[in-house]
Amino acid sequence: MKVVIGRYVPGTGFFYTMDPRTKIIALIILMVATFLIDSLMLMLIAIGLIVLLMIVGKIGIKRVYLGLRPLMFLLMFTFVFQVLFNRQGDILLKRTVFYSPLSLLLGIGLIVMWLFTKKFTRFKLFYFVAVIAGVFYIFTELGDLNPFAQSTLAIYEEGLFMAMFIMLRLIIIVTLSTILTITTKPTDLNLGLEHVLKPLKVFRINTEDIAMIISISLRYIPTLLDEANKIMLAQASRGVDFKEGKLKDKVMQIVSLLVPMFIISFKRSDELANAMEARSFVPGAKRTRLHVLAWKTLDSVTIVVALLALTLSITLRIWPWI
Amino acid sequence: MAIKFEHVSFQYKSIDNKGYLALNEVNVAIENKGEFITLIGETGSGKSTLVQHMNALLTPTKGAMNIFGIKISSKSKENKNVKFNPIRKQVGLVFQFPEYQLFEETVEKDIMFGPKNFGVNEREAKKRAREAIAMVGLDESYLERSPFNLSGGEKKRVSIAGILAMEPDILILDEPTSGLDPRGRDALLKVFYDIHTSLNKTVLIITHDMNTVYEYARRVLVMREGELVYDGDPVKLFSRTNVDNWNLDVPDIIRLKQALETEFKLDLSGTIRNKQALLKRLEELLS
Amino acid sequence: MNMIEIKNLGFSYQKDDVALSDVSFNVQKGEWLTILGHNGSGKSTLSKLLVGLLKPNNGSVVVDGQTLSEETVYDIRKKIGIVFQNPDNQFVGVTVKDDIAFGLENLQIERDEMLKRIDEYASRVDMTDFLEKEPQALSGGQKQRVAIAGILAMQTDVIIFDESTAMLDPKGRKEILNYIKKLNDVGVTVIMITHDMREAVLSDRILVLKEGHVLKIGPTKDILLDKETLESSNLELLLPLEVMHTLEQKNINYPKLKEFLWQLSLNT
Repeated sequence: MKVVIGRYVPGTGFFYTMDPRTKIIALIILMVATFLIDSLMLMLIAIGLIVLLMIVGKIGIKRVYLGLRPLMFLLMFTFVFQVLFNRQGDILLKRTVFYSPLSLLLGIGLIVMWLFTKKFTRFKLFYFVAVIAGVFYIFTELGDLNPFAQSTLAIYEEGLFMAMFIMLRLIIIVTLSTILTITTKPTDLNLGLEHVLKPLKVFRINTEDIAMIISISLRYIPTLLDEANKIMLAQASRGVDFKEGKLKDKVMQIVSLLVPMFIISFKRSDELANAMEARSFVPGAKRTRLHVLAWKTLDSVTIVVALLALTLSITLRIWPWI
Repeated sequence: MAIKFEHVSFQYKSIDNKGYLALNEVNVAIENKGEFITLIGETGSGKSTLVQHMNALLTPTKGAMNIFGIKISSKSKENKNVKFNPIRKQVGLVFQFPEYQLFEETVEKDIMFGPKNFGVNEREAKKRAREAIAMVGLDESYLERSPFNLSGGEKKRVSIAGILAMEPDILILDEPTSGLDPRGRDALLKVFYDIHTSLNKTVLIITHDMNTVYEYARRVLVMREGELVYDGDPVKLFSRTNVDNWNLDVPDIIRLKQALETEFKLDLSGTIRNKQALLKRLEELLS
Repeated sequence: MNMIEIKNLGFSYQKDDVALSDVSFNVQKGEWLTILGHNGSGKSTLSKLLVGLLKPNNGSVVVDGQTLSEETVYDIRKKIGIVFQNPDNQFVGVTVKDDIAFGLENLQIERDEMLKRIDEYASRVDMTDFLEKEPQALSGGQKQRVAIAGILAMQTDVIIFDESTAMLDPKGRKEILNYIKKLNDVGVTVIMITHDMREAVLSDRILVLKEGHVLKIGPTKDILLDKETLESSNLELLLPLEVMHTLEQKNINYPKLKEFLWQLSLNT
């Protein structure tokens, strides 16, 4: 069973003992610090430190990597985009791209072959990169027989730099967030958020109500999944084939699933609201709490460390010696 | 044999890969005409899983099924070319909660939904909707109403009509009378019985109500922990041993009969399956 | 002593949809009153009116001397709790413990007292081993037990069971009835709304509703034998009592048999 991105995994280590408030606040501080970094070297050091933290905190690096994998495509796209279209700085590489019948044929042929055979390879990423390299080679080296058009492909220093930079930044942000969600139970996360968002009360936003909404949503997610499944079975019994169908059919299939889900949800809201009110729930009123959070020394230390990282980041931006 | 199961087992896979054997070596055969079967068993015994195999919503992880000539095995490779959808027209399954299937703007459109999915044209589907709504004991005026403005009992009937309109050969109903008041329950059971007798269709009802089992069924299937432990006569089902072993509820009639026989030495032997028969016999004995 | 006094209660959902009209009755402290009626007779509307989830068009509800109004509704909800029909749609907490705590949090009970009550009332419904479990791991009967524990923890005087067993299998139904019996035995006032005759047998008095009106109210024994009243509200007699009724109709006099049949019906 594949691991869902960032889902809570029980474990030991200081990340698990930390108060959820600490993790949320530290995450925000560190994200700001990350965005202030403007040197590649510093970025790499930051990643190194994070990896170190994960090792000490007993968080499986493999798990975090698995969490990043779905984003590979986005990372690749960002990288390529920057490399190709950022035209600042010195030119690092310049090649002419030739469009000829031969190159088009070979290029498209290679891509089609990739589309059909990619299911069978295990190292999809490498295969993809190899195919891209192949296409590149075809268009730059083989194309010069009877080209009917040509253009220039240039990679600039700045482009390469920005590409790496943005990619690394994305990796840091996602990794930090993943550490948060892997080590914090959704209910604890919700409790932490509720406390952290308390200042918003000044703007007349009731954070306790928001936390209650999130908590009830969490409670009903398994129920909703179960009902969705049952609805699909019931509609399948009436001839709905959820696997096949043209676009028009797909629309009808989705409607036959969504309408019952909505109706059931509305009925549930009504009944649940009645049950809550009958148990003396008044939105906005003061409530005592079963779950309390306990601030520990570890939490203070973590916040201090995060603030130090921020300070360092600000300092190095103003006086860059790395 | 319309439906034939041979050594059918079904293992649910769960997130922690622990798996759970919902069906264990079930062998059963069901005709497509003339049977009135009740399927009983505790919650979790595999009843719903079993009927979901009967219209191919689920396929076995072991064993084989033959449904109206279509062979379905436990090997998904062999099942690649099997079209499951046509089976669902022939074996109609009505789920317990009508809320899972009602979704159209009008009752008429909702009932027509099933038949249209199986290629029935608009005119014919409308005709079937009119017939189906009458079959479940609701007036034609219901056709224009929204399915969401109906009472629980009315919704149940509309959902049943939706499957009847598909003109299945076998009708399977999952706890069709739960939540209905006594009169509603009796009325609906009579509907099923009428469909069974007038159209000679096989009807299979999952129920917890032993009185229903005793009064209506000619054949009872008992599920227990994924196994089919009894397949036969409802009268013989309620022997002392079976009741004790399988923790069965005893139908009211049997309990009353046994109590009267023991305490008052009344002769209540013979086939007394419902209230009327019992009252008649008592009248005869005591006047 | 009248725990609850209902006088001329009336309610309509819309102009011509009269759900209840001119309903009057009292509930004694410690008694078990069953409200019987066909689907749509107004039973659930009545239970919602009793805890102020709906506002009546006419009439009044007086609970323990307090008249139900917008100002007093919060007090009254501390005296009457409801266990609803759908086990899933009243389970608020992420775990059993959280759900039982929900009402206590609303009542601003201090945490120490909360923990005590959670343990005590979870054990009263035998759910102590399930405190950390999530609702999807529980059966319908178990979820309803949690609902009961949640209301018990709020220490209300009256508990209304609004078709609380309708969505349960026979095993679950027996479970819940058992706990309700235990509650009533220790003095909790029980109002049970149902259309299941086997549940009605256990009560002290029965009120029969039909199309929003009170058809009849009286001691359980009397109502259970009233074939006319019951059938006019789409209900049925328990089988032994049906036999008793027929014998009486046919002028067959057999007192020992009648007594026996009556005892049998009480033990359904």
